[in-house]
Amino acid sequence: MRKQFAKTLLDLGKDERLVLLIGDISHYLLKDFEDKYKDRFYNMGVAEQAMMSIASGLAINGLFPVVHSITPFVVERCFEQIKDDLCYQNLGVNIVSVGGAFDYAALGCTHHCYEDFALMRVLPNMQVIYPASPHEFDILFRQTFANGSPTYFRLPAKIHFLPTKPNFGDVEKLKEGKEVTVVAAGPQLQNAYDAIQELEKESITCDLIYMTTLKPVSEAAKAAITASLKKTKRLLTIEEHSVIGGVGDTVALIASNISFGHHRLGIKDKFLTNYGTYEEHCEANGLTKSGIKKAIYEIKSENNL
Amino acid sequence: MEEEDSKNIKKIRIDILDMCFKAKEGHVPSSFSVVEILYTLYKKMAPNDVFFLSKGHASAALFAVLAHFGLLDRSELKTYCAYDSRLGGHPHRFPNLIMSSTGSLGHGFPIAAGYALSKKIKQEPGRVFCVVGDGETNEGSIWETAMYAEQLKLSNLVCVVDKNDSQIRAMTSINIDKKFKEFGWKTQVVNGHNSSELEKILFDKSVESNNQPYCVIANTVKGKGVKEMERDMFAWHHRSPTDTELARFKEELLQTL
Repeated sequence: MRKQFAKTLLDLGKDERLVLLIGDISHYLLKDFEDKYKDRFYNMGVAEQAMMSIASGLAINGLFPVVHSITPFVVERCFEQIKDDLCYQNLGVNIVSVGGAFDYAALGCTHHCYEDFALMRVLPNMQVIYPASPHEFDILFRQTFANGSPTYFRLPAKIHFLPTKPNFGDVEKLKEGKEVTVVAAGPQLQNAYDAIQELEKESITCDLIYMTTLKPVSEAAKAAITASLKKTKRLLTIEEHSVIGGVGDTVALIASNISFGHHRLGIKDKFLTNYGTYEEHCEANGLTKSGIKKAIYEIKSENNL
Repeated sequence: MEEEDSKNIKKIRIDILDMCFKAKEGHVPSSFSVVEILYTLYKKMAPNDVFFLSKGHASAALFAVLAHFGLLDRSELKTYCAYDSRLGGHPHRFPNLIMSSTGSLGHGFPIAAGYALSKKIKQEPGRVFCVVGDGETNEGSIWETAMYAEQLKLSNLVCVVDKNDSQIRAMTSINIDKKFKEFGWKTQVVNGHNSSELEKILFDKSVESNNQPYCVIANTVKGKGVKEMERDMFAWHHRSPTDTELARFKEELLQTL
């Protein structure tokens, strides 16, 4: 994903309004951009609050800043700067983070961030985008980087390998079924897809809806989600994020006027105090193919309305 | 000329009092300490210069000065802090008039630095002025910005610190000029209530060719012009005058300034 970020930015750098600010990460990947557009590349070190406000100042004068750093530092450290200096003033600063959820598993909780979607979604004017394959970043970034509103991108370390066709604001239906509506986001799409594929052999079929834009959600996307839930009355949401405030809540808000049972696969309301690997954390939180199958069995066995 | 300025400044202070009296809102003493600074800036700024008020709680002073220079309709001052007014207790951005929304301390200064950087990138002429409160320099983001400004060679950035000692109960602002100098800025100290001194130090031909970011420490008095406020600046920090106080303060302003 980071390579695609560098590639897309290098290409878009021909737009003289694009300015890249990095929080002392990804230097090697962005070297080509730095060499080619020296006066529009700034390694701002580790002073995230002022970096974010400086991006606001650039945007006030008509530039398209891209601020890139590690999720907790570029989202949480400077949250009030994002609120006041980007969102309140509706300025088109693009935040591109890496290291969301537990991508930096072994580095511990200070370097984890499974609250980013909750924090970004709650801010008026903020657009929240979660690509999980290089082509998705390329498409979604090109669609939004110059649209004049603040935008948050989380770039996951792991990717899925499905040939998706994302469009800003929309969802994509990748499986058609009867029993459960599965809404997945991020690299967990792969596990969700594989799990549903296997369940089809047992004659359990699910709608699989893939979400790359958490905010705003288009009317078409809302209609697709609502129609599916009216049919299945059972919802499973899957995300590498807290069960509070992320994909689960996004879908629940869209469909708040219809009744359905809702299971949330994600990170419960707790800190993941273990270290280890990304895979171990997925395993511990049910974010695996078998974890998803188990959740679908459970929700199916319940008598929903 | 100086007489004219002092007459104008007096009128601006009275406007601020009227606004805050009517609204039963606003920060009068914090506004009074920056009147000469804002007046001088708006009197002298070139068409390509821009201004950011980082200490946003002095919004009443900013609006009164904008109205004085005809950038805002005077009748709009009467709406200060009203529900549907454009003019709030802290300024909100509207293009070509208010550069940025401020209010939370430590934000406007880095935003101004970002604007100064954008001018460098776009090779635009003009300078970027920013008024920061000395209490505001408690915020870490002020020093992050001081550091960035040197690194980014923002010779077009001018920071005016309104040193009214309002933070004296908490953290006294000691040696702000030395701190900025240590961060690579050119610094000057000035009497912040002397508009001709301010004019010289901010707009003299020699300072326009600075090759460093420029910080002017303006020594001011919080509540300047009304003795009761000067004496008891903490009680008056976020208080508006009663009708008898209003009359008394206006009289004092007209007599003494």
